[in-house]
Amino acid sequence: MLSKLLKQEFRATGRIMLPVFGALLILSVLANFSIRLLDSSAGNNTVLRILAVLVLVFFGAAIFGALIVTLWLMVTRFYRNLLKDEGYLMHTLPVSVHGLVWSKLIVSLVWFLATGLLIMLIVFLTALIQSGTNISEILAQLPSWAEVREMLASQGIRSGDITLFCAEFIALVLVGSIASSLHFYAAMSMGHMFSKDKILLSIVFFVALSFVMSLLTNLLGFRLHDLATLTVENGDVAMLLFYMRRLLLFSLGVELLQGALLYFATTLSLRRGLNLA
Amino acid sequence: MPILECIDLSKRFGKTAALDNVNLSIEPGRVIGLLGPNGSGKTTLIKLANGLLTPSDGEILIDGEAPGPKSKAIVSYLPDKEYLPDWMCPKQLMDFFEDFYADFDRARAEEMLARLGLDPAQKVKQMSKGTREKVQLILVMSRRAKLYLLDEPIGGVDPATRDYILDTIIRNYNPEAAVVISTHLIADVEQVLDEVIFIQNGQILLQSDVDSIREEKGKSVDQYFREVFKC
Amino acid sequence: MTWDFRNDLPIYSQLIEQIKLAIVSGVFAPGMRLNSVRDMAAEAGVNPNTLQRALQELERQGLVFSQRTSGRYVTEDTNVIDETKRALAQGQLAAFLDAMKKLGYERAEIIALLKEEA
Repeated sequence: MLSKLLKQEFRATGRIMLPVFGALLILSVLANFSIRLLDSSAGNNTVLRILAVLVLVFFGAAIFGALIVTLWLMVTRFYRNLLKDEGYLMHTLPVSVHGLVWSKLIVSLVWFLATGLLIMLIVFLTALIQSGTNISEILAQLPSWAEVREMLASQGIRSGDITLFCAEFIALVLVGSIASSLHFYAAMSMGHMFSKDKILLSIVFFVALSFVMSLLTNLLGFRLHDLATLTVENGDVAMLLFYMRRLLLFSLGVELLQGALLYFATTLSLRRGLNLA
Repeated sequence: MPILECIDLSKRFGKTAALDNVNLSIEPGRVIGLLGPNGSGKTTLIKLANGLLTPSDGEILIDGEAPGPKSKAIVSYLPDKEYLPDWMCPKQLMDFFEDFYADFDRARAEEMLARLGLDPAQKVKQMSKGTREKVQLILVMSRRAKLYLLDEPIGGVDPATRDYILDTIIRNYNPEAAVVISTHLIADVEQVLDEVIFIQNGQILLQSDVDSIREEKGKSVDQYFREVFKC
Repeated sequence: MTWDFRNDLPIYSQLIEQIKLAIVSGVFAPGMRLNSVRDMAAEAGVNPNTLQRALQELERQGLVFSQRTSGRYVTEDTNVIDETKRALAQGQLAAFLDAMKKLGYERAEIIALLKEEA
């Protein structure tokens, strides 16, 4: 059933996200032309100059806007689909609350990642094109993997450590993103258990949960004290990596714990306290 | 075995009791009117049966089990709300119902849409209120469910739509399924019912056959209801 | 045919009454196949179980009969139909006489009045 819920959720969100991505791509192409135009002699024409600058402003706004839309969609899909009138449809499907929550989590995560990667790609390509460098030139300048490994080995780092570091970093991004969605979900689910002032109470719960979560992080923070006493010597890459990985693992642990608590709060509120108006 | 059973069922919101120690049982093959004034607990009872609320005390059983994914697969529910996503059209909604409900009879839904001349590609957003209500009813009645819970299906619709709704309910009658219709407009549904349940202030006042009431009281259920509730 | 129900009587007995009337008046001709219970109930706007019970009672009285596969039919036995017609007429007469008595008419006066009317 999760796959069917995912299908429906992608259908419902795709009709908003895909046009946003389309607009972003078109604006990025226009922005590149605009930059070129401003650099060229045609850029002396005032009207064209104003147009070009406007396009660039829109491009900047679109990047910011795409991030806002992704966040807004994550919140409103949960709110409208599970806590308002559409909830009558969704909560009477033969699926579990877990399926409902996970379908929302997975789809928002995918859109977060897609938006993030698309923006990075667009900005990177724009920078690359405008700098006038050729991609193959840059690639040629990059050291080969064997060279990197050799360099790391000279610092006492095995390539496996780097792989782990990357895996941990990706895990942190994923778990952190899910935990942040759950922060919104839990607050809304708890606020909507009440018959009145549902939105106001959702905001109150959001603040309260923020407080509880930061308290939790601080309580666990003593585990990091031993790190504070470490000093990273200049150029001691191995020690730096060790330090970073400890920090990453700690953050991952905290995010996992927070995510689990928020997930529990969300599903329990929806299962036992659902109170659709 | 009853398809719906309430045992000492209570639901409180804060200090107010929406349902107070309700005991009742509904058998398959019956069309039942859940009758009571506004705020008497009809919607609360139906929401509990759908797992949209959790009992404060006692239990509610659907086909012998507490509401959950299993019961939701056999209960077809028409809420007293416009609950369909407004960006979808009937065709997408039928896909959706077909995906999630094994008992959804698509051919039946398509035929009913065609009979009303409804466009399967029209977005819910662009439909009139009456059309939306008909689409909701068609989707709900096109399931081969064991229990239909219809919350105020005829409240606020024009007489032609009301007749269409009642006609649909009769034509979909299935001896293995029970239909519960909650309403405060008794005169309109009375003839379609086997049985009525009177509910007031969260308590069951009476559960009886329609014809028994007519036989014993020499008046229609509607007249009797007005007498009981003095409204 | 059109169906019309009064408020003060069970729908079950009114259904029996109205189907009987349809049969004796020939709206439901002898040997005619009746619609399915579901369709008939939808036409009359009544509960299918109630109609089913009414039809079973009519079957018991010999006015309709069912064939396992093909459905329900009006009886072809005109004697039964005539008897029913007569019983209905007697019922009407009894009610009429009762009403006339309440108005203070004696039997002979009623007959005289009827002759005048005819």
